[in-house]
Amino acid sequence: MASSQHEQVLVEEKSFARILTLNRTKQLNALSFQMDDPNVKLIILKGKGRSFCAGGDVAAVVHDIRAGGWRAGANFFMKEFTLNYLMATYSKPQVSILNGIVMGGGNGASMHGRFRVATENSLFAMPETALGLFPDVGASYFLSRLPGFFGEYLGLTGARLDGVEMLACGLATHFVPSAKLPMLEAALCAVDSSDPAIISSIIGQYSERPSLKEQSVYNRLDVIDRCFSQKTVEEILSALEREAVDRREGWISTTIQTLKKASPTSLKISLRSIRVGRLQGVGPCLVREYRMVCHVMRGEFSKDFFEGCRAILLDKDKNPKWEPSKLELITDTTVDSYFSKVKNEDWEDLKLPARPKFNLPPYVIAKL
Amino acid sequence: MDRAYQRTRILTNHLILNSPAQTDCLTSNECLSYSPPELSEKYAFDVSEMRRLMDGHDVEERDRLFGLIIQSKLFNPRVRGGKVFVSPDYNQSMEQQREMTWKRIEYLLERGVFGGWMTGKGEEVEMKRFACFEVLGLFDHSISIKLGVHFFLWGGAIQFFGTKHHHDKWLRDTENYLIKGCFSMTELGHGSNVRGIETVTTYDSNTGEFIINTPCESAQKYWIGGAAKHATHTIVFSQLNINGTNEGVHALIAQIRDADGNVCPNIRIADCGHKIGLNGVDNGRIWFDNVRVPRENLLNSVADVSPDGKYLSAIKDPDQRFAAFLSPLTAGRVNIAVNAVYQSKVGLAIAIRYALTRRAFSLKANEPEVLLLDYPSHQRRLLPLLAKIYAMSFGANYLKMLYVRRTPQSNKTIHVVSSSFKATCTWSNMQIIQECREACGGQGLKTENRVGHLKAEHDVQSTFEGDNNILMQQVSKALFAEYVAAQKRNKVFKGLGLEHMNKPCPVIPSQLTSTTLRCSQFQMDALCLRERELLNRFVADVSQCLARGESKEHAFNTNYQLAEDLGKAFSDRAIFQTFVEAEATLAAGSLKDVLGMVRSLYALTCLEDVTYLRYGYLSVDNATAVRREITKLCSELRPHALALVSSFGIPDAFLSPIAFNWIDANSWSSVQH
Repeated sequence: MASSQHEQVLVEEKSFARILTLNRTKQLNALSFQMDDPNVKLIILKGKGRSFCAGGDVAAVVHDIRAGGWRAGANFFMKEFTLNYLMATYSKPQVSILNGIVMGGGNGASMHGRFRVATENSLFAMPETALGLFPDVGASYFLSRLPGFFGEYLGLTGARLDGVEMLACGLATHFVPSAKLPMLEAALCAVDSSDPAIISSIIGQYSERPSLKEQSVYNRLDVIDRCFSQKTVEEILSALEREAVDRREGWISTTIQTLKKASPTSLKISLRSIRVGRLQGVGPCLVREYRMVCHVMRGEFSKDFFEGCRAILLDKDKNPKWEPSKLELITDTTVDSYFSKVKNEDWEDLKLPARPKFNLPPYVIAKL
Repeated sequence: MDRAYQRTRILTNHLILNSPAQTDCLTSNECLSYSPPELSEKYAFDVSEMRRLMDGHDVEERDRLFGLIIQSKLFNPRVRGGKVFVSPDYNQSMEQQREMTWKRIEYLLERGVFGGWMTGKGEEVEMKRFACFEVLGLFDHSISIKLGVHFFLWGGAIQFFGTKHHHDKWLRDTENYLIKGCFSMTELGHGSNVRGIETVTTYDSNTGEFIINTPCESAQKYWIGGAAKHATHTIVFSQLNINGTNEGVHALIAQIRDADGNVCPNIRIADCGHKIGLNGVDNGRIWFDNVRVPRENLLNSVADVSPDGKYLSAIKDPDQRFAAFLSPLTAGRVNIAVNAVYQSKVGLAIAIRYALTRRAFSLKANEPEVLLLDYPSHQRRLLPLLAKIYAMSFGANYLKMLYVRRTPQSNKTIHVVSSSFKATCTWSNMQIIQECREACGGQGLKTENRVGHLKAEHDVQSTFEGDNNILMQQVSKALFAEYVAAQKRNKVFKGLGLEHMNKPCPVIPSQLTSTTLRCSQFQMDALCLRERELLNRFVADVSQCLARGESKEHAFNTNYQLAEDLGKAFSDRAIFQTFVEAEATLAAGSLKDVLGMVRSLYALTCLEDVTYLRYGYLSVDNATAVRREITKLCSELRPHALALVSSFGIPDAFLSPIAFNWIDANSWSSVQH
């Protein structure tokens, strides 16, 4: 053990692997910055307690902004997104063991890595639109690359997935029953290779291919594609309402309700972000998301982020009062402004850290 | 830094004496790893801002459509080097390609992509439609032509030649594809000379029907897109013969298939067969055997026939009547010009990206090989083409605006500008793609790498909707007419950008310095000078022929060389003007600086045209100075090459494997998968 109980990330040094355990169980293993990339063959990232990582400590960020202005928040996100980029472009494979809740920032810490292992305890969500934020941490990159328009569905509704669904849609690369995790970990610690094919086959030895539950939304991808491929959030909603008339399936009305409860501004900027992200590399996605998050924290166009955190995380009345309150009140020009540079003297775009120009693995190069 | 790093590594390899295990030799050669240009090249300006300037409009609409294509299995997504690429499977049979093209159209239809294309009105709708065509054309030429025939030719004919009852009856059904339209103009015996077509229509006042007939084999309709397989209706062009008088070419609607796809009685259809490209389009041939259609099927905005068989037209002059009939073809010509620019972008983005990752030959032993784009010769091959694409892009945006803001007064300008830009952009496109293919070496020959295959797919552009040579002759004739009209108006030119003719002739300094060569006023002067001198010379030579008593037609035909040079000079100058105007909209900054260099490179490349020396507009010394400045500009633009092609806004999936990690795309493991 190279770390004490008080630290937020436990680091175990095995012969060829480094195991990082996210340790702040109280705040559901909220991310912090003591996770560094040790120079070894492979990284194993896992959580402690009932979650993998429930995301950035948003309550703390809001507290910081209240105390020190939006810059304090920008600083947090700058570090977080930089870390996301490092993980996405790290030359050694990262295996994330998602044996529990993985939300928001937790996805940023795992989805950019080469291997994501789901279990029967996995619970995935990107719930930012309910908080007045948008799917960040590079979600516009990884959500947009899911099959069809499933990424739009997950990003706009914050819908939850179990481990089997994560495997089916590609968010997870493997599914390993939690009982086999200790054996998997031991096997991974003994791998003297960074070759993804070798690591994949080792995880494969403990993997299963369980089938989706019959009522899984992933079985309704055709409906999701038809609705979530629509041009605007308004059109997505009316497409869903048409489908609801035709097929009276519970998940459709739940989806409509969820969308109607989410911040209208968040929905619009999230949709645009995913659509643009689909055509960008992971670096440009993070740069753009950083612009967006700075605009959100400055609250020039909407203060929904603060209202969402108040209603969901602080007061917990679950009754946010969004402003603007309706989708139709938000113009394209307003949405555009979230994607523009922040007009502030010493503000700068996110500076992506330099990466080695040679010998990056092909799966990293493909993301640039 | 890269070189230093590589060199150290190679030296280290030499110094480590323990010989590598045999398997090491097989697994990888350290020297040839792919280095992504994104990590070594710097962006000196905001690429998304440049893209907005280049695309000009409907950026979000474009991105949504790109996404619709990338996310659907119908568009043949393939993974190469860890990235998804979309492109039709050109190895499929002609039949399969046609079937896939149609399925893709159905998918887009279900997603509402064509909403408002026929029933909507106004600038915004038309610009959005152009944007969609540009995106779809980036995927495949066949899908854009198949859609173009249905919406622009069939739909456009209904809109422009038809009147209210045609609009009410056909436009909504066209938009929803309840009917599938095609456009029967060209015949085996007549293409560009539409007035010579031989199909004949007569009127039977007893039944109130027109009778369309193909009197001979050379009158069979030919190359009719959509006719071989899918189309249910067509616009038929024919000589309208009323009571023994030929009233000239008119257009009617005829049904050629029923809803189940069976060919209608008295219609015969044959396939044009396999082509060198565009095999996703079902081009066919049609014969009409005294086909009867109701009187209402005559598209009667220009002329009509009364129930009792009287010919009625507000336009008495048959020449003007004919011109009115051809005006809808302008939209098609605009589309072709714009599409050619986007195809050039695909080819060049691929070639430049490849040149930023492919190395060949070392300058010294043990040094890493040199990147293709670091060779001045390779820069000289590709970067002037980059400048040309930027220029044509602004030209295309101007042309689109000119078209959507058309008025009866601007018809002539639209005709001249669209004809010249169509010829220039499509000819340039073929030249650019060929150069890019060669610049990619053997890799350019693989269909999956796109750049070579684009040649076959787009060769047709220089022929359809007006043969380029004939279009350029028309431009020169129009300029001649302007000259004559201006002489009548006391030598005042107005319109077509010819106002510079009213000013004194520009003078080129005898010693051209670098500063002068990069000055946009000088560049404009030099381009105007050539246009002016060529126009004067052309008018003089044609007038001389006329004075000798030759016919106008003969005079134009014998002066074809000057006509060609003049058409080109007009086009280069007009495109340059749009570049200068686009540049003027920018605030000072790095974007404007880089764009200024691109503009200079474009202008100076135009000045390299042989006419400048042939007619002595530039001295030999000045021509040498121009050439030298071009090489300088190329090396100055080299660091911006990646940013400039990234600004094209073409998603990675629409480029090709050699534009990215071509080593991994060709690895043994990719063979096994």
